Amino acid sequence: MRLTDYLTWVYRAVNAQKRRTLLTIFGFSVGISAVILLNAIGESLRQYILQEFTQFGSHIVAVMPGKTETFGVGGLLNTVRPMTLDDAISLERLPAAKYVVPVVMGTAQVKWYQRGRYTDVAGITSPALNAWQLTLAQGKFLPADDILTPRDLAVLGHTLKQELFANNNAIGEKIHVGSHSFRVIGVLKPKGEFMGVNLDDMVYIPTAKALRLFNRNSVMEIDIFYHENIATEKFSQQISKLLISRHNSEDFTLITQDDMLKSLDKILRFVKYAAAGLGVISLLVGAVGIITILTITVTERSQEIGLLRALGFSSAHIRYFFLGEAIVISLTSGILGYIISMALLFIAQLFMPTMPIVFEPFVLMLTLIISVIIGALAGWKPASKAAKLEPVLALRAE
Amino acid sequence: MNLADHWLFSYQALARHRLRSAMILLAIAMGVSSVLLLTSIGEGARLFIEQEFSGLGSKMLIVLPGKKETTGSAPPIYGTTPRDLTIEDAHALKTIHSISHVAPIIAGTATVSNQSLSRDIIILGTNIDMFTIRNLTLKQGSMLPKNSESRATQVCIIGAKLAKELFKNNSPLGQWLRIGEYKYRVIGLLEQRGESLGLDLRDMAIIPVRSAQILFDSPALFRILLQLKQSEYETSTIVQVNKVISQRHEGKADITIISQDAMLSAFNKIIVAVTASIGAIAAISLFVAGILIMNVSYISVSQRREEIGLLKSLGASAKEVRQIFVISSLVITSFGTLAGLVFSYSIVFIIHANFPNIPLAIPWWSTLSAIFMSFIIALLFSWLPANKAATVDPILALRG
Repeated sequence: MRLTDYLTWVYRAVNAQKRRTLLTIFGFSVGISAVILLNAIGESLRQYILQEFTQFGSHIVAVMPGKTETFGVGGLLNTVRPMTLDDAISLERLPAAKYVVPVVMGTAQVKWYQRGRYTDVAGITSPALNAWQLTLAQGKFLPADDILTPRDLAVLGHTLKQELFANNNAIGEKIHVGSHSFRVIGVLKPKGEFMGVNLDDMVYIPTAKALRLFNRNSVMEIDIFYHENIATEKFSQQISKLLISRHNSEDFTLITQDDMLKSLDKILRFVKYAAAGLGVISLLVGAVGIITILTITVTERSQEIGLLRALGFSSAHIRYFFLGEAIVISLTSGILGYIISMALLFIAQLFMPTMPIVFEPFVLMLTLIISVIIGALAGWKPASKAAKLEPVLALRAE
Repeated sequence: MNLADHWLFSYQALARHRLRSAMILLAIAMGVSSVLLLTSIGEGARLFIEQEFSGLGSKMLIVLPGKKETTGSAPPIYGTTPRDLTIEDAHALKTIHSISHVAPIIAGTATVSNQSLSRDIIILGTNIDMFTIRNLTLKQGSMLPKNSESRATQVCIIGAKLAKELFKNNSPLGQWLRIGEYKYRVIGLLEQRGESLGLDLRDMAIIPVRSAQILFDSPALFRILLQLKQSEYETSTIVQVNKVISQRHEGKADITIISQDAMLSAFNKIIVAVTASIGAIAAISLFVAGILIMNVSYISVSQRREEIGLLKSLGASAKEVRQIFVISSLVITSFGTLAGLVFSYSIVFIIHANFPNIPLAIPWWSTLSAIFMSFIIALLFSWLPANKAATVDPILALRG
């Protein structure tokens, strides 16, 4: 039997019962789309979150006071081994360090005349403007004063400015943060949230002033942005060495952006595969559909099969006929499912332009291969049933 | 035609094609049980967290230093403020009648060492009320002194893991431990209870709150835990706590109060949302099963044309013929749903019996919606084929 004959047979078989075939294909392709869509949503989510995290670049090392082997909140708690502004100054001297930002966070009441608001206070230094990619709406950012003795200047986030000053001019005005007074020299453009903290409802003051305001001797974190031409490990070693020589022991925790991204990526990948795994259930139900319909077809066509057998076709031939049908159905479903998913993703992107949507050719290949495998597995039982039919009995059936 | 007739008719039709009936049943059962089993994981997680919370004692309020007016933002977890929350503030809260226990907490990290062995851990400075509020018990030794808030005694209570790391198999009781720059005598060993909402109490040392103030050289409290006499007093207590603190802080109530209920309901909301969306994804498989029902119904309509023609010529109306087919798919769906329910509930039961630590529970709402969904799907997807049967022309059908 020639291949073309074989293909014609399969084509006719598929074509003879159009509605039946179409419904089977539709059912299976819903399963395929479920897997592809969930995988794509998982992937988009992964990329979205990773983008959130790498928006300030990926060459960042954060150093926190205190070394805990079990817990990751280091900087927030008290510590017997403080990390000081002097540490930040010495870190600035590392040749590979681009921006060094010692950070203290807290909350306080910010007041302008009678208007007051309890909100976040960020103690930072002038390099934060470039490091955190902040943009000014008005005025200037904190100047590059001496880290230890800065002036009492403050920059307001967008929301805070609106809440305190409404449409009045803020630049040059005196505000109170807690009991200390500061002069406003700049207002930032809206920046949004980062990890649950609203960066717009915030007042930015020099770190040294924030330490005094909060009566602390230790900064919470020193963010070090470094040049791209140095390897992360090498740079973290330099930092460790410097701080150990200053503190005489390793009493700090060092977190590189790379490490954080890696562990985050691991979690997000797991979520993605778990989501795709949920879609597989629908795919299995679709496979049950293929088995059912093919079995019905085999029963209906037993007379025809008997005739073929009587004419000398081997049982292997018969098996291949039905297997071929199963594979054609599943492969078509795979292609249809892929097209449906892509169309849905495309529509989704029209509504959510910020959500990255990823086209993975690898997924298409995988989809098709898996469809064929499932199709072949689902077709195996009915095809064997057809192959085992006794020609005489089958002919007599009617 | 009455219900019994319908039943008999459907049963015969289904029994005649055992394989295809079994396959539809399987498909529906797969869909139903995937919805139930997947939601049971989420519901289990919810119950687990609820249990953890109730382990803390049910009537707890947490006071954090600092306040934020940003709408919808997280509470001020850093706890740094210009005006510290102090041990004296905590002491003042004891005057509120509805509060039974007040535990001020100073938390920090420090190196703890015994001779050459050392470990960097979290140190909690607190008082004996903490043990009541968090349901902590001692395995050996004695409690923190009663005057933890007024006197800095050099004693500590340590967790099981810390004891093992620093003292190996020797008894730590009565031994001296170095924490930061000071020495503390170990007076008690905590009962091993494992993680409790992220705090690994096994790897911690608890010292009197006044000693912690000296150790970290800061009067600032990290949190104050309050236990209420009765949970009904919650709202009024929150008002009173704010009043007491603002009296002491120059008229400013610069604190955030979190109630355990608020925290629990926030957790609940998130978990239920996640569980429901996982359930919805699993429900796609019910939709696929519906397509199979439609397909098989079409096939049986065309195979039973003659029979339908006969029924119609004997006086059956189009409506009755339609009913026959819809009811027959409802019958198979109810068997499938039942099989799915039995399967899922027994899986959960078996896991529960063998691994009581794995929290799994099928939520009532997913059970109801899975049943509801599968019937809706059976109705919808058998409607078109049933309609086709209803429009069969009896004369043409009988002529074959």
